[in-house]
Amino acid sequence: MKRVFDTQLIGPFAAMVIVALIVALTTDRFLNPGNLSNLSLQVSIVALIAIGSTIVIFAAGIDLSSGSMVALLTMILAQMLKFMGIPLVLALPLILLVGGLLGLLIGLITAYGRIPSFITTLAALIAFRGLALTFNNGSPIFSLDPALEPIFYGKLLGVPLPFFYLVFFYALAAFTMNFTKLGREIYAVGGNPAAAVLTGINVRKVQTTTFVIAGFMTAVGAILMSARLNSGSPNYGQTLELQAIAAAVVGGASLAGGRGNILATLMGAMTIVIVQNGLNLNAAPSSVQNIVLGLIILLAVGIDMWRAEISGLMGRVFGRKSSAKKVK
Amino acid sequence: MTSETPLWEFVDISKAYPGVLANDKVCIKLMPGSIHGLLGENGCGKSTMIKTLSGVQQPDSGKILHNGTEVTISDPQAARDNGIATVFQEFSIVPTLSVGENIFLGNMPRSRLGVINWKKVHDDAARVLAEMDVDVSPNAITGTLSVGEQQLVEIAKAIAMDARMIILDEPTAALGEEEIERLHQLLRNMRSRGTAILYVSHRLDEVERIVDEVTILRNGRVVRASGETEINVSDIVSAMVGEDIGEHYPKEHNASDDVVLEAQGLVTEFGVTDASFTLHKGEVLGLGGVLGSGRTEIARALFGTDELSAGQILLSGKPVRFRREIDAIRAGLALVPENRKYDGLFFNFRASGNITAASLGGLNRFGVLNLKAEAQATHDLIRDLEISTQAEEKTVNFLSGGNQQKIVIARWLFSQSDILILDEPTQGIDIGAKIAVYKLINKLTRAGKSIILISSDHDELLAMSDRIAVVQHGAIKRTVKASDLNHDDLVRASADALHTKPEEAFA
Repeated sequence: MKRVFDTQLIGPFAAMVIVALIVALTTDRFLNPGNLSNLSLQVSIVALIAIGSTIVIFAAGIDLSSGSMVALLTMILAQMLKFMGIPLVLALPLILLVGGLLGLLIGLITAYGRIPSFITTLAALIAFRGLALTFNNGSPIFSLDPALEPIFYGKLLGVPLPFFYLVFFYALAAFTMNFTKLGREIYAVGGNPAAAVLTGINVRKVQTTTFVIAGFMTAVGAILMSARLNSGSPNYGQTLELQAIAAAVVGGASLAGGRGNILATLMGAMTIVIVQNGLNLNAAPSSVQNIVLGLIILLAVGIDMWRAEISGLMGRVFGRKSSAKKVK
Repeated sequence: MTSETPLWEFVDISKAYPGVLANDKVCIKLMPGSIHGLLGENGCGKSTMIKTLSGVQQPDSGKILHNGTEVTISDPQAARDNGIATVFQEFSIVPTLSVGENIFLGNMPRSRLGVINWKKVHDDAARVLAEMDVDVSPNAITGTLSVGEQQLVEIAKAIAMDARMIILDEPTAALGEEEIERLHQLLRNMRSRGTAILYVSHRLDEVERIVDEVTILRNGRVVRASGETEINVSDIVSAMVGEDIGEHYPKEHNASDDVVLEAQGLVTEFGVTDASFTLHKGEVLGLGGVLGSGRTEIARALFGTDELSAGQILLSGKPVRFRREIDAIRAGLALVPENRKYDGLFFNFRASGNITAASLGGLNRFGVLNLKAEAQATHDLIRDLEISTQAEEKTVNFLSGGNQQKIVIARWLFSQSDILILDEPTQGIDIGAKIAVYKLINKLTRAGKSIILISSDHDELLAMSDRIAVVQHGAIKRTVKASDLNHDDLVRASADALHTKPEEAFA
């Protein structure tokens, strides 16, 4: 367990707690049970998608396609439920399958076509949004299935269901990254692909797998999105891919690959949502929310980059003598 | 030697980093027209001295004298203004720029309007390259050149600024024999023009050939000042290590008659033209030849990295075909690559992740990695190979080159490979670590493992191999007993390959 809950979690956890404290002190409604359960609903979609985005980043890739893929998948789900008469129990696994297959396609083009993932997923970001518009003449589809909404709004023992999805998928992801061959290979490919080749790791297969995981998790997010609004729309998921990447970055994942802890991404997502929640409770306009989100990302990466300087400054401020003096 | 004023002089220079005193009252005199060797094991304080002299950092105490006058070298630009050029170990060239642009980077000749004078860049670069006798066009994109040529471009930068003092930090690590000779000739020319040269290298055989005087550091202190040591390898080594290390090359002969691997007429599209050889159980087979002769390419062909277009590989008499690296690894082969930083190590992992990377399947129990077994195996290997115990807790970027190299080798011990290909296993590591690698080679062969050793250090290759296959233009010309060859034979055999080209040009 030492491996899962390592020191990489301290920073993101502290950031989350500090942000929560500030919000709790500046508003009186933050700690209401209603607000807290609302928070877990709000964070669920981006946090689930961020699992895939983070795993792609661990392998030194980037996934910009998830937001558009959510729109496309909600439209496919809506089409199946509303116009094709496919029952929900069949439609849901099909959506997960389609998500995984779209991820597979992106992964194959990236890894075997040797095109940088920034480009393949940027192309997918644009194309998926267009593809979503080809359904129902580009109009949203509403009132899909009464059984859909409980998937998002349902509760078990008084706890919102999305909370359990988060626990399940993050536990699964943490297990995979820390205790399986695949997880180790993902970190190895992200850390040094050339060395991975010479140790017999199938680098392209590993890279492709990360995109399949990302596609699958995006499909999970898309189902929750459809359930939340009981609809499908080509406009859903705008900038969701950037929020998911932001969660990973705030959680300390290195965009260069190979470093980071998947559980920190959950904390990163929580931090972002708590800030948004705090601004909402203080009735801040959405323009301010975006500005603050931008600053948080800068600050999170900055603190990581300037770690040495910061600890040096701390040392000087608190008068810690450099240990070199003792050697003399 | 002479009583004239030193061009540069360090007087009692000290510099501390957190936890370590890197330079402790270091004194050195750098005379014009002299090549001064600066030697010592990794971590002895050489780099610290170089950084101080090139203005990258400031000393904590002590004086720097330039022609007898005290000066401060406040930053790298100040060093350049004072005529000091530094060729660092890590390349500082920009691969996407032309050779000419790189030579004048940061110092581009400009017209009065501030526009770069490209004709002058081109002409001056061509002049410098001609002066160096380097056959490279100033317009060539630097990244397309060989590593050796890139290193020469790096040196051309120093020459172009007309430096009076040149610092070379491991300048030959990436060079072949021919290029080293060319570099040395260049340095001799510069010396005769009165340039002071500070030369840092782990290749003691070449130090012996080129330097006029040596200063040896150990633990941040000067243990032998200029003139206090004879310039020969054994004296230098014992001064560096601080004890009599006994045999520099502790070779054991463990070869048996069983053939474990046979290569028959290997050809690839990537530079192997005709490679045939046998490898015996417990044997060290050296591949001798110059940089670019095809030794690394033969290793790649054996390891399944480059596809064979002809020929076959037999393991214990049975033909095998490796489609990719994993096939070779499963058949018991291992490759320790030439450049551990580029394709050897995972800097995001601690020792454990690096050691088990090639055999994760063996740790897999019902889909779960057995991390306990991994930690135990890592612990044992760290103890057996005398790797720094820090490697268990810290990622490997914090370790010295010698420890890093041992970790790459440990990977293949963990995977229980029978045939290890070691490509330049001692490049850039200090003498103590080198000897540790030699002892490891003995231990492996004693256990019945076989080794293919590739090394540009001819003395090492001759001393540590049982037999040597001479490689030229991607082909193995002949295989002979190491004891039947001497250093000159090997240099000549290697050089023959290069001399065929100019002859064709003259014909």
